[in-house]
Amino acid sequence: MVKNITIFTTNTCGYCQMVKTYLKAKGMGYDEVNLDENPTRRAEAQLLSGATTVPVTIVTKTDDSQEVIVGYNLARLVPAVAVN
Amino acid sequence: MSDKKIHDLVIVGAGPAALTAAIYTTREDIETVLYEKGVIGGLAAVTDLIDNYPGFAEGVHGLELAKSLKDQAERFGAVIELGEVLSIEQEGKHKKINTLFGDVYAKSVLIATGCDYKKTGVPGELVYYARGVHYCATCDGAFYRDKRLVVIGGGNSAVQESIFLTRFATHIDLLVRSTIKASDVLQKELKKFVDDGKITVHLGVTPKEIKGNQDNGVTSVVGVDNNDKEVDFPTDGVFVFIGLKPNTDFLNDSDIIKDPIGFIQTDSNLQTSMSGVFAAGDVRSGATMQIASAAGEGATAALKIREYLEGKLVNDKPAVLSLQ
Ligand SMILES: Cc1cc2nc3c(=O)[nH]c(=O)nc-3n(C[C@H](O)[C@H](O)[C@H](O)COP(=O)(O)OP(=O)(O)OC[C@H]3O[C@@H](n4cnc5c(N)ncnc54)[C@H](O)[C@@H]3O)c2cc1C
Repeated sequence: MVKNITIFTTNTCGYCQMVKTYLKAKGMGYDEVNLDENPTRRAEAQLLSGATTVPVTIVTKTDDSQEVIVGYNLARLVPAVAVN
Repeated sequence: MSDKKIHDLVIVGAGPAALTAAIYTTREDIETVLYEKGVIGGLAAVTDLIDNYPGFAEGVHGLELAKSLKDQAERFGAVIELGEVLSIEQEGKHKKINTLFGDVYAKSVLIATGCDYKKTGVPGELVYYARGVHYCATCDGAFYRDKRLVVIGGGNSAVQESIFLTRFATHIDLLVRSTIKASDVLQKELKKFVDDGKITVHLGVTPKEIKGNQDNGVTSVVGVDNNDKEVDFPTDGVFVFIGLKPNTDFLNDSDIIKDPIGFIQTDSNLQTSMSGVFAAGDVRSGATMQIASAAGEGATAALKIREYLEGKLVNDKPAVLSLQ
């Protein structure tokens, strides 16, 4: 089960919009960290993902395990946020 | 197949061509479902500012145009599903469209899948993908605030995106294999940044390798100049814009005929070699690769699809091939 979802985004990133569109369509809430508005958190996104790209989606499960999805990748995002 | 829903029209892609077609078809009560594997709005949505799309005196941001096109299509009833189309085949009277999440059926199909960025193929490109090697400036540029960048390419995209990236990077080395092929307007704009020392253009340089290490990601790009001499360009990241290739690999096992480069061939009705399957926008052989023309082709395709569905398409013959 999903406990919470955090998405690292930027203002101009179309793929970030798509992650949000997908989660909204599924009725799922998320926290957004906009790196243009919070540039100091860029290093955190980079550390968690190992990548210099957005979107980075962190799915935290109820057992506190985390799944990190780099980019807009439905094949990974869909199972990661599935209800069961 | 009798209990399966048969859509009037399935559109593959949701870029400007697809969304324009959907505005026309749904407004005329042709039930329409679009499948999009990437960003709704297509390449237009990942472009910062679009200066030449008619109707916007001051230009329009790509994401804003994409949202308007989407909202307009949805207002008339278009349904946009997220997911990739993997193949299209004829099944009886209808088309079977295999998607990431299962098969759907339709009386007609519009392929509006556009193009994707080509890769350089040099060593290091895959190793450092998304860790210093990028293809989307509007997505990843922000990671290079106050850093040095290399941009590879010399066409419209490379120049436009280099200019965009100057808002983050301290300096950009633009590596161009031959000469700059961008439009005069963009070249004039580029000159301002060259004069300001923000961009240095290196003509006649072909990339050979992207170097880096585990800790820092990309550290340099090795290029070869016209005298076969290796030149090292130290950098924190590389953006690659060396042209586009059509998104048509998913049609490799279909009856849809492509030109030698992979663009889809159509007749004057924008119908492909498979009856009832149409193509519009950048993916079509002979397309002019502009948002306005993609939108125009989307509108044309929609009107031709209506004629097809009504059994009135004149010259209803599959595309005759000139290049095969
Ligand atoms: C950097 C850059 C700057 C540009 N600037 C301008 C400009 O200023 N003005 C201008 O007029 N044009 C510009 N262009 C060109 C313009 O973006 C394109 O001509 C236009 O977007 C083409 O529209 P389209 O609908 O044909 O294809 P696209 O916009 O490419 O849309 C195709 C869509 O289909 C989707 N797709 C592909 N395969 C599948 C599949 N198998 N299943 C499901 N979906 C799929 C893709 O994800 C994509 O979203 C620019 C292009 C680039 C790269």
